[in-house]
Amino acid sequence: MSAPLLEVEDLHVGFRGADGIVEAVRGVDFSVAPGEIVGVVGESGSGKSLSMLAVMRLLGTTARITGGRVRFAGEDLLAAGEARMRDIRGRDIAMVFQDPQSALNPALTIGRQMTDVVRAHRRVSAGGARRIAAEALERVGISDAARRLDAYPHQFSGGMRQRALIAMAIACRPRLLIADEPTTALDVTVQAQIVNLIAELRRDLDLAVVFISHNLQLVAEIVDRVMVMYGGRVVEDGPVADIETAARHPYTRLLKACVPSLQGPLGPLTTIEGAPPRLGRMPAGCPFAPRCPQAVDRCEREMPALVADAGRRVACWRPQ
Amino acid sequence: MNRLIQLVRTADWTGWLGAAIVLVMLGAAIAAPLIAPYDPVAINIEHRLTAPDATYWLGTDQAGRDVLSRVIYGARASLAVGIGAVIIGALIGVSAGLFAAYKGGLGDQITMRIVDAIASIPLLVWAIAIVGVLGVGPVAIGSLQLPNEVKIVTLIGCLFSPVFARVTYAVAQRIVSADYVKARYLQGASHWQIVTGDVLPNCLSPIIVQATLLVAIGIVIEASISFVGLGVQPPQPSWGTMLSDARNAIYSGEWWLPVFPGLAISVTVIGFNLLGDAVRDLFDPRHEARTLVA
Amino acid sequence: MNGPILALRGVTKSYPQGGFLDRLVGAASRFVALDDVTLEVARGDVVGIVGESGSGKSTLASLAVGLTRPTAGEVLLDGEPLAALMRDHAAPWRRRIQMVFQDSSSALNPRKTIARCLAETLALRGVPHQAWEAETVALLGLVGLGAETAPRLPHELSGGQRQRVGLARALAMKPDILIADEPVSSLDVSLQAQVINLLSRLAVDLGLTLLFISHDLAVVRTLCSRIIVMRQGRIVEDGPCRDVLERPTHPYTQLLISSVPRGIAGRRTAVAAAATGAAG
Repeated sequence: MSAPLLEVEDLHVGFRGADGIVEAVRGVDFSVAPGEIVGVVGESGSGKSLSMLAVMRLLGTTARITGGRVRFAGEDLLAAGEARMRDIRGRDIAMVFQDPQSALNPALTIGRQMTDVVRAHRRVSAGGARRIAAEALERVGISDAARRLDAYPHQFSGGMRQRALIAMAIACRPRLLIADEPTTALDVTVQAQIVNLIAELRRDLDLAVVFISHNLQLVAEIVDRVMVMYGGRVVEDGPVADIETAARHPYTRLLKACVPSLQGPLGPLTTIEGAPPRLGRMPAGCPFAPRCPQAVDRCEREMPALVADAGRRVACWRPQ
Repeated sequence: MNRLIQLVRTADWTGWLGAAIVLVMLGAAIAAPLIAPYDPVAINIEHRLTAPDATYWLGTDQAGRDVLSRVIYGARASLAVGIGAVIIGALIGVSAGLFAAYKGGLGDQITMRIVDAIASIPLLVWAIAIVGVLGVGPVAIGSLQLPNEVKIVTLIGCLFSPVFARVTYAVAQRIVSADYVKARYLQGASHWQIVTGDVLPNCLSPIIVQATLLVAIGIVIEASISFVGLGVQPPQPSWGTMLSDARNAIYSGEWWLPVFPGLAISVTVIGFNLLGDAVRDLFDPRHEARTLVA
Repeated sequence: MNGPILALRGVTKSYPQGGFLDRLVGAASRFVALDDVTLEVARGDVVGIVGESGSGKSTLASLAVGLTRPTAGEVLLDGEPLAALMRDHAAPWRRRIQMVFQDSSSALNPRKTIARCLAETLALRGVPHQAWEAETVALLGLVGLGAETAPRLPHELSGGQRQRVGLARALAMKPDILIADEPVSSLDVSLQAQVINLLSRLAVDLGLTLLFISHDLAVVRTLCSRIIVMRQGRIVEDGPCRDVLERPTHPYTQLLISSVPRGIAGRRTAVAAAATGAAG
């Protein structure tokens, strides 16, 4: 097995409140191998987006990293200076966000925004940057790319804007792409296209991808490995086939069962009673214990560790 | 109520300073007859132009009237005009803003274009122009006799109304399209019920902030039109008329005549501004988010 | 009555585009949100209306409840034209058709407690105020919430709980027809299933006619007996749920069905599609 591209160990992220720090990411461990595509699945408040923003050191002013280690290609990102981080962001690690509308500046052409990114990271002439941008646009399936560079974001449909953002992300040939719910704001038919595009880019460009989503069914179509998060912790992690057919954590099983599908029997859906834990009111033991049908006393009291076994990891006192 | 206590606890010291200044000025205005050492209009030629001393703390003016008493009574005119104008302006402006936002369509366009037209000329220019046309002193509208003070308050209030209309309109437009307003409509609630029960309460915070800031502007306008002789008429004291009377004193060396009313205006305006900023911070949703996370 | 409880006859809705001045001089073009739609809904039916953004499905919902008026055509409630009924805004017909909204954070007035929100609704239905408390508790129970929810403000509840309160508010009017506009799309998946099951149970128990608007075919499949597929303001397919999903006739319906994520089962098609994309 090759050395991991991204390694995250015991990552903690907290928000500063009036009564001290409230932890939203509580000890997350994972790694991404070069060229691997990992799906990070969880509901809102599970800490999935926050963990990835922490990796990019893009937490803003309210949240901050309170502990852990982040290594990218052997380099300690938490120790890197802001100038070095700016270098890494966009060139080595690129990110695509949920809402393509707000991620683009409405006052500048697509081409201008793309060439700005390219020239921030590569020593190329204006013409060279434009050529690279056009190639990237073509690569994501936008026809007549050279002419489209002069279009403004509002002249693009939602799906095309997301394609343009992906083009912007891959223009500098990053080794890791973090896609944070890239299809949630899009129509279903467009969603399918974007997911396929990401799978295709990964294969052609030998890109590692972290695909964040709340939809297990969606990520399972393209990822190699799935990591399930709940209450700021990783609860299960393993190859996609294992997670899909033989999940060991009760949350993963219920999460799969409660999503309606086009196949399978009709009748009432499986539900998970209760609601995800709120920030600052995390249970002392397993975060899922209050909603878990299999929970025993120990689950309420003690936090189960994430135990590795044959390429899979699960954090549960009573795994199945 | 709990929320209010929580908000008060999180306010910073500048807000408290503003609130303290406003309270002191309001107290002085209300209790003027009790705390003023002398009659503000009593003429005492013997003691004219006395510099501040133990008897007359802030000195006397050309007619021998006590400056301290005049400043205290002047607070009445200034605050009455400032607060009265804001109340009138809020009544007219908030109604117009709510109407335009709720009604939409042509009514909206007409109302808001009138508002824009009024707001395109500075307040002070309007005030002086209109008083110039109406003339100084009481004014009669048909059989209705409006005393001079009421005229000034109404005038400034009308000039404030576009500001309120714009603020209200901007927020109300967003509230009107909220789903809970649609739900009320679908239940068959009357327009009055919807506007007063659902739209207005959710627009109040920016309106209150605006009101606090406008009191300060009202005080300056009153002082300005009184200064040019179109506002409060002598011998009634007002900070503006006192400044106006003190014009010649600047050259002859009676510094206490312009300084004290000027200081009173500055301090009061700063007080209302600090209070307004603090109120805005308290109502700021980001501020709420900050306390909610905790 | 045996006729359809709700009917749309040749309903078109268009909006002027362009600014105020364009409209004033009549130079504005018009955007057609709904284009000559005819549709009948039988009493007690659970109908799914499926489409993507711009398909006109939400416009259809607001026309059916009278939030907007059609540019042409008419909406009939139990055979009576809605336009005529709407002349009397506060009339009893109002309570018969209610709506549940998509965004749970905007569906409830942030300054009103749940108890007040429901009490106001009951007052408009003409329930005497002595009965409000008991009815409020009953309504909250109906949507699976406890009485302890009543004194809370909306921001103290989770998205799923707020969506249930929105449903309770609609049910407080004792409607015959309930229109739900993407009621679960803003919820987390684990809460989504709870609300879908609840809607499904209530539709049967209360004999509601339910119009369920969604972009998610899988959700519609679990809930509805009939599916209407919309695209660009028109109905492109309409039929019993099973038939439409198993034997779609319109290419757009087929595309929608093939776009639903299918987990590991959808893996081969995704990779194959990627391969053809790369070759082309």
